[in-house]
Amino acid sequence: MSAGADDEAVFLARVREYLGTRMPDARELSLTHVQRIAVGWSHETWLFDLTYREGGEAREQGLCLRRDPGNALLRHMSDLEEQFRVLKCLAATALPAPKVFWYESDPAILDAPFLVMEKVPGECPNPWGRAGRRFYAEAAARGTLPASFTAALATLHTLDWEAAGLGFLGVPEPGAGFARREIAKWRELIDASEHPPEPILADLMCWLESNIPAPARVTLVHGAYRTGNLLIHNDRISAVLDWELQVLGDPMYDVAYVLSDLNREGTPLLSNLVERDAFMRDYEAQTGFTIDENACRYYDALYAMRSVAFWMSASGLYRSGRSNDLRLARTTWSVPVVLERAARDLGY
Amino acid sequence: MTNSDLLDRLVTTLKRDIAPAIDDEYLKTQAFMASVVVGKLTRQLALESGHRAAASADLDALVDELRATIEGYDEPGLRAAYTRLAEQREPAALCAFIEALYAARAVIGESTFDRLRRRIRTCLRADIDRRMEYAK
Repeated sequence: MSAGADDEAVFLARVREYLGTRMPDARELSLTHVQRIAVGWSHETWLFDLTYREGGEAREQGLCLRRDPGNALLRHMSDLEEQFRVLKCLAATALPAPKVFWYESDPAILDAPFLVMEKVPGECPNPWGRAGRRFYAEAAARGTLPASFTAALATLHTLDWEAAGLGFLGVPEPGAGFARREIAKWRELIDASEHPPEPILADLMCWLESNIPAPARVTLVHGAYRTGNLLIHNDRISAVLDWELQVLGDPMYDVAYVLSDLNREGTPLLSNLVERDAFMRDYEAQTGFTIDENACRYYDALYAMRSVAFWMSASGLYRSGRSNDLRLARTTWSVPVVLERAARDLGY
Repeated sequence: MTNSDLLDRLVTTLKRDIAPAIDDEYLKTQAFMASVVVGKLTRQLALESGHRAAASADLDALVDELRATIEGYDEPGLRAAYTRLAEQREPAALCAFIEALYAARAVIGESTFDRLRRRIRTCLRADIDRRMEYAK
């Protein structure tokens, strides 16, 4: 919902009061350059600069606050506490990610759980908008950002997740364990959506169960690695964002997402940014992994199932009255579009 | 003016008059989305009766064609799913039949499995093509 100016002022005053409790030596706290983004789809996100005095000196810290609105898409699958823990673990790795400061589960503070992290310098152009497409096309021509895109994914896949403390995400059973767990997760979301039965989806799920690839290794997997989920500063990735779907599993799951035509529009460039051959060459060189194209095709079909689950869940939020956001109502017609794509994936 | 014409006019009003006049970005998006939702729903409702008849005819033909093959196999799960499909002739029963078909794969053999699945997929393709007339 769109918050009124008064509501927003009250909310920001409560944020300032909270920050004061977390920074007892800070005085004269003030929030400036406040910007609210990502209204409705996922967690509420607020960006602002905190100015304050400490030890007689004026200081400033850019902050990002994410709050659980209670009815966000996938909310029961992506809780802020897990995001906080993941980002805390990533701080000790070479992966560019925001530094997190605090997580609060007590709804008495800001009515809902929230986390506070640093505001990393950079921008995140929407790859589906005209301006975003132009931004990525120009960056592709310069070549620095595409290389950074691939390098950040290689870093993500080669970081020592055990040493970083990410084992709490759950190590999949060897062999089919990873894909089975993903299928089960998306099936649960589909069932919870109470969407009418879809025979193409039944076919897709049976096919997925029957054709599970055996991963060569287990790594940290982002789950939605694409432009739009990456912060860019000085033509480089300054932070990997949107830690809502991460798992431990087959890195080919991320590679398949990069290779997918889901994430590009009217361009052969992967994620609107990277040439396919360059991505494959550089990724293999930097990780030492060989890209398994059969596994990627399998995961592309798994993404179709995931997309169906997303849209069934999203449209269900509107149908059930848990959200009044008409963008969610619109996704009712995204379900058949993705099912049609799934049918093509399966060869019909 | 027919109901369909009225709905089309509503879509146009929302898109061209109401949404552009709203300053608040969130509410502006909502107005545009309302025009999209009403537009799609209008198209879906206009096609609904024809689509339902076509889907029903396709499912009847599928049930008839599957009968001979299913009766040739002593596979209780597949037979039960087929019986349900023949009685109910609706998507939930077809989903259950597809699941039973995959489960019976080893018993009925790859060739029969492929033939039955291909026949079902023909039916599913026709159905999704119809739905794409309003969903896209």
